[in-house]
Amino acid sequence: MAIVITAAAVVAPPRASAARAVQLAGEASLACLAEARLSPDAVGVLINVGVYREHNTFEPAVGALVQKEAGINLDYLAHPVPGAAFSFDLMNGACGVLNAVQVAESMLVAGGAERVLVTAADVHPGGRGAPDAEHPDDDYPYADLGAALLLERSATADGFGPVRTGGSDDPSATAGYLPTAGMRADGRNRITVRRDPGFATQLLDLAADTALGYVRDEGLDLRRTLVIGSRPTSDFGLRLAGRLGLPEDRVLTPDPPGAGAGLPHTAAPILGYLRAITGGLPEDVDQLLFVAVGAGPSAACVSYRPQERWTR
Amino acid sequence: MTSDARGSRFEALGAYMPPTVRSTGELLASVTAMPDVDLERITGVAERRVYDPRPEAGEDSFGLALKAARDALGHSRYDPADLDVVVSASITRFKDGDDFYFEPSFAGMLAKELGARRAVHFDVSNACAGMMTGVHLLDRMIRSGAVRTGLVVSGEQATRVAETAAREIADSYDPQFASLSVGDSAAAVVLDRAVDDADRIHYIDLMTCAEYAHLCLGMPSDRTEGIALYTDNRQMHKQDRLRMWPAFHRDQLAKLGRTFADEEFDYIVQHQVGTRFVEYANRTGEAEFGTPMPHSLSVVEEFGNTATTSHFLALQRHLKAGTARRGARYLLVPAASGLVTGALSATITHLGV
Repeated sequence: MAIVITAAAVVAPPRASAARAVQLAGEASLACLAEARLSPDAVGVLINVGVYREHNTFEPAVGALVQKEAGINLDYLAHPVPGAAFSFDLMNGACGVLNAVQVAESMLVAGGAERVLVTAADVHPGGRGAPDAEHPDDDYPYADLGAALLLERSATADGFGPVRTGGSDDPSATAGYLPTAGMRADGRNRITVRRDPGFATQLLDLAADTALGYVRDEGLDLRRTLVIGSRPTSDFGLRLAGRLGLPEDRVLTPDPPGAGAGLPHTAAPILGYLRAITGGLPEDVDQLLFVAVGAGPSAACVSYRPQERWTR
Repeated sequence: MTSDARGSRFEALGAYMPPTVRSTGELLASVTAMPDVDLERITGVAERRVYDPRPEAGEDSFGLALKAARDALGHSRYDPADLDVVVSASITRFKDGDDFYFEPSFAGMLAKELGARRAVHFDVSNACAGMMTGVHLLDRMIRSGAVRTGLVVSGEQATRVAETAAREIADSYDPQFASLSVGDSAAAVVLDRAVDDADRIHYIDLMTCAEYAHLCLGMPSDRTEGIALYTDNRQMHKQDRLRMWPAFHRDQLAKLGRTFADEEFDYIVQHQVGTRFVEYANRTGEAEFGTPMPHSLSVVEEFGNTATTSHFLALQRHLKAGTARRGARYLLVPAASGLVTGALSATITHLGV
């Protein structure tokens, strides 16, 4: 038995609008359910892994707000459904989707849940994309983007391999936080993303080490693998390919859809997965390797063997 | 609801309470527009602990969590290096004083600080059900055989929202009124595989009814410098909201052909919102299940609403004081923004506290 991806979706905000993470993740959730021809009641667990959110909201879980947006288990007293969905936020920077796959596997195997919906949406807290934004935040590196991934059990052996994580004893060379001292009454609109000199090298080192360790421990043939990577810098895919000894086109780190600026953050693995599906796998590739890396520094890897072959 | 096979147990429990005590009278004296109400009578909260803002005190959310984690590990048979998983569940994620963190995860930074080098780590954020959510996930990971042991920890500088409320509140109908009953705290719990029925988490099932997700919102204030919590108390604590727990719990038990009375709980721990809330929740349970509620454990009078830590703090204090019996069966009932409800049933005998 394995865990497989039943549906996936990415949603970019309309141009020049103030994006909301709840809305982007909600739309991506509904797109997933539509693709899988399932009703909202089919979702047992919703895990939201986005990091940056409108107004820097810290309660409730953004996942609960996404659950409402997607119309999943709204009121158990009014409409008791057997699956009685549960939602929460899981946050671990850019590794969130892969940690969610790790947790979802246990929930699907031991928890009685039929399906787990993972959402990943990041937006600038103050709405950087808004046409009336008073202070466009040019230091904020990430794109406003939402994505969702629907997971379930499959009787086949194909699907996700084990998720492995990696870390380092070094302090994180990147972080995202709200400095509340001095924010005055503007805390809903501000965010600081700190990226020290050398942060890209720190992340590249850890991503390469974790990926190569995974390939070795799991006995993967890297030559028959398409890597889907995080994208902490624009050229990260190229540099990771170099470290892994792969041709450039064997590491996917696509640009986000839409006209907005910025790099994909927590949604990057789903964005890359969708690119792999639409692009089709090269003839000599039979598996994907997700490689996520971000603040911590923290990395995660997981292989994925698709049930059906997407050909070019 | 899951079977007991390969189940988990509470192995060690720790807490840290800031030593500074603030009475409800002292808090009200700091409220700019003093509401014409008897806060202590309404909430039952006589006092709460408050963080020491000096950096050397180490009482920001991160520092509080670290102290509780070390306390739990001090009562555990495991060393930090043995931990397979570290989950942090703080709502308030203040580190380095006043910086509210979104990444890296608190869990990763705590694991590093503790020396839990190989632990998988991530934060969960699920309002006041955060620690319960962490325990839920860890239980599933242990049941599935993916891991053997892990730590769930939370440190809360909850009184940061009380400071904002004290500046901004207009009257007792103000959406920040509930912020006056919170207190600071930290708690941590170690889980591992159950080896017998003396210590076992029988089940933990959680549910979110998202229609009510907007009833309690936390974010920075747009009026003064600080974080704030805005709660629609009347809607949040309506009887229909409180009926969600018994309805869900009864249906989960029915799948196993059991009733609430069959469970023979010795103790119940409700979320520590206030004494009236706890009484109301227990009365609702009694009416819905048609059976008396077990003995209710509380710490809200002394510590206020401590958010994510409340159930584990109540357990820790009563087990430590000997006011809760070992070898007994405990029911923990979350109630959190989202809205989250559910039930955790556990037998606790040898838990280190």
